Amino acid sequence: MAHPREGWKSNGGLSRRQFLARAAVGAAAIPSMSAILAACTKPGATSTGTDTSAVGTGGYVVPGVPYPLARQDKPVTWAIPNDNQPIASGLQPETGATLQVYNWADYLFKAVAVSRFEQAFNCKVSITTFDTMDEALSKMLNQQIQADVFFPTIDTLGKLIGQKLLQPVNPSYVPNLAKTVWPLFQNPFYDQEARYTVPYVVYSTGILYRRTLSGLSDSDVRAMTNTWDLLWDPTYKGQVGIYSEYRDALAAALLRKGVTDLNTEDPAQIATAGDDLVALSKATKARDATNVAYQLFPHGALTVTQSWSGDAVGAWSYYPQYTMSNWSQGGYWFPQDRVGNVNSDCIAIPKIAKNPVLAHAFLNFMLDETNSADNFSWVGYQPPLNALDLSTLTTTEGYYSAQYKYGVPYVFPWMTDAIVTENDLTKTGRLEMELPPNVDKLYHDAWSRFLSGVGS
Amino acid sequence: MVQAVQSPREERRAARRRAKAQRKEHGAWYPRWYWPSFATPGTLYLLIFFVIPLYVVIALAFGTVDRYTNPIPVYQPWYWSGLYMSQVLNAAIGDNRFVYLRTFIYIITASVLCVGISYTVAYYITRFGQKRRGFYLALLVSPFFISYLMRMLAWNNLLASNGYINKILGWIPLAPHNVAWQTGNQLTIVLGLIYGYVPYMVLPLYGFLDRIQTSLLEAGKDLGASSVRTFFRVTLPLSKQAILAGIVIVTLPMFGDYYTHNLLGLSPATSMIGNLLDDAKGSGLGSDSRVASLCLVIMILMLLPMAYYLYSTNKELKER
Repeated sequence: MAHPREGWKSNGGLSRRQFLARAAVGAAAIPSMSAILAACTKPGATSTGTDTSAVGTGGYVVPGVPYPLARQDKPVTWAIPNDNQPIASGLQPETGATLQVYNWADYLFKAVAVSRFEQAFNCKVSITTFDTMDEALSKMLNQQIQADVFFPTIDTLGKLIGQKLLQPVNPSYVPNLAKTVWPLFQNPFYDQEARYTVPYVVYSTGILYRRTLSGLSDSDVRAMTNTWDLLWDPTYKGQVGIYSEYRDALAAALLRKGVTDLNTEDPAQIATAGDDLVALSKATKARDATNVAYQLFPHGALTVTQSWSGDAVGAWSYYPQYTMSNWSQGGYWFPQDRVGNVNSDCIAIPKIAKNPVLAHAFLNFMLDETNSADNFSWVGYQPPLNALDLSTLTTTEGYYSAQYKYGVPYVFPWMTDAIVTENDLTKTGRLEMELPPNVDKLYHDAWSRFLSGVGS
Repeated sequence: MVQAVQSPREERRAARRRAKAQRKEHGAWYPRWYWPSFATPGTLYLLIFFVIPLYVVIALAFGTVDRYTNPIPVYQPWYWSGLYMSQVLNAAIGDNRFVYLRTFIYIITASVLCVGISYTVAYYITRFGQKRRGFYLALLVSPFFISYLMRMLAWNNLLASNGYINKILGWIPLAPHNVAWQTGNQLTIVLGLIYGYVPYMVLPLYGFLDRIQTSLLEAGKDLGASSVRTFFRVTLPLSKQAILAGIVIVTLPMFGDYYTHNLLGLSPATSMIGNLLDDAKGSGLGSDSRVASLCLVIMILMLLPMAYYLYSTNKELKER
């Protein structure tokens, strides 16, 4: 059966005459068109309509931002415009295709997402990685990357959907969404009715600490009046890591001062958080631990570091020697009242996907109970699966460990703080969401004070 | 005078004879565009890969953003906005002044030490290398056989708080113990810069020193100067150009260097101008324009040593 998208492809490519004709027109048209357009109007001065409903309804509407911002208490329903409809139901996945996956580094277990998927769907999977969401967004926008599957963070959905970079998901291809994941994700606040995304993993941002060498016992750490102070403690000078994700770093400073609104727009609170980070740099000479916490920590370069729960859980595979005494060095702390920085990542399909049916199949595949749990066993980031019994995570060996008989459970028994529950996301946890540009600038200004190493 | 009527064939023959005579007298004759045209590939290269991209960078630096905060380069100077450039310059005299100051100190210290190290090495090879010169030069180039990244990562293991350097220091009484090399230690970054760039300086220095004629040195000694005096009065002044060239070669990349800090430090206390550029990526509204503005600022900073080098070489040429 021919795929509907094949209609526009010509059968044998262009004839020479067609090619020359089109090339000539193209060559003549491109410079003159853009020159005329550029010279006539002042660049950037496009219509500044404030109607955001064309992109999405609900949410937090900010003047000048062409889409609503999602908040935990202000959910957004993204519109499905006429020119961006989901693919038709009932199509067969493209065969012999190469599925292009655009993702963070080390964020998919290749034995599952590549090998197993390739076998199941008779295709190739190729993973391209990005370092920052900004980099990913600009490459998607310039079409430098033609991905079939993309892993956005939930705070970028407005930009992605507003600029029609994503296509709506046709739920008929993703039956697992209704079956396997927490009810919250059938209708998440950042994408009501799960129109454009399916969930991937959930995580929290806490502290990874060395249990044995530094004399920090789990009970000590949990009993501290303010455990965030660990990151500011000069005792661990030269041994402290902080994520150079500006929001996460500032969130730690905000939470330390008892500010639980991680999207606060209060300039004083933001500035104080920035000053606190400068103080942290002075006191501990903290290092940037993004992307390396799970490597630096096992090698003994860090004693206390800010860490995503997934990095803490997955760090065991980075120890130089696989022994229980090594693994038991790393403990993870998250506020005991569970009021802290939590988040979830999602999977989406870019609008320009060449293999949209196969991409839908990939989404469904990653939501499968077995595949998802097996992926978790290597990635360390927990999927929001109903089937995953959170009380037995510390005693059940994961697929990756079982393959090599390492005897490592999904989560070590002393790392129960790293397990995320549905309650964390719906009730106690605080999610960093997209900020209005002028507020975002305040956060960046505060952060750049830390980065410049003021006074240190 | 009546010109003898020539057949066209004879005319052509005569013209060829004249041309031959001219070639004999003045060498081959070429049209005026002939020699300059040799510069065409270079000029085109410069135009396509430098001038035009530079204009795009300028257009981006003075550009604007759309409603989705995507950068829009502005190619018409009459629409330029100085907003992002002024943000960068304000930061430069604000919090980032520490970074600029730090970078200057690092670069000056590192290049002075680079000169010291490479001058002695190059001097030794030219004066005392004898038949083994080639071998010594090969040794000098040998670090390049291992990737820069590998060499820097290897330092990580040596400098780690539980690494070999601290272990060795631990055996030596009175030596500092448990040095935090990698967290906010300025010395580490300077050493990293020297380590990374010193070979680039030795090679040009060697090239220059090798060309100093020994007869000049002998003349100095014949006139009664001591070896030390000969060095300071003859060798050193003659190698001034080489030192300047070497400094230019090492300082230019140091201005944009961000990986030395990223690989050896990662604490904000040791970040350099190159890191500002790295950090400006994804710094919110107008980040691309700020990156472009910073690029221009760094370019202007780099023009300073370059301008001095050109000025002094020019002066030298005129004096000859």
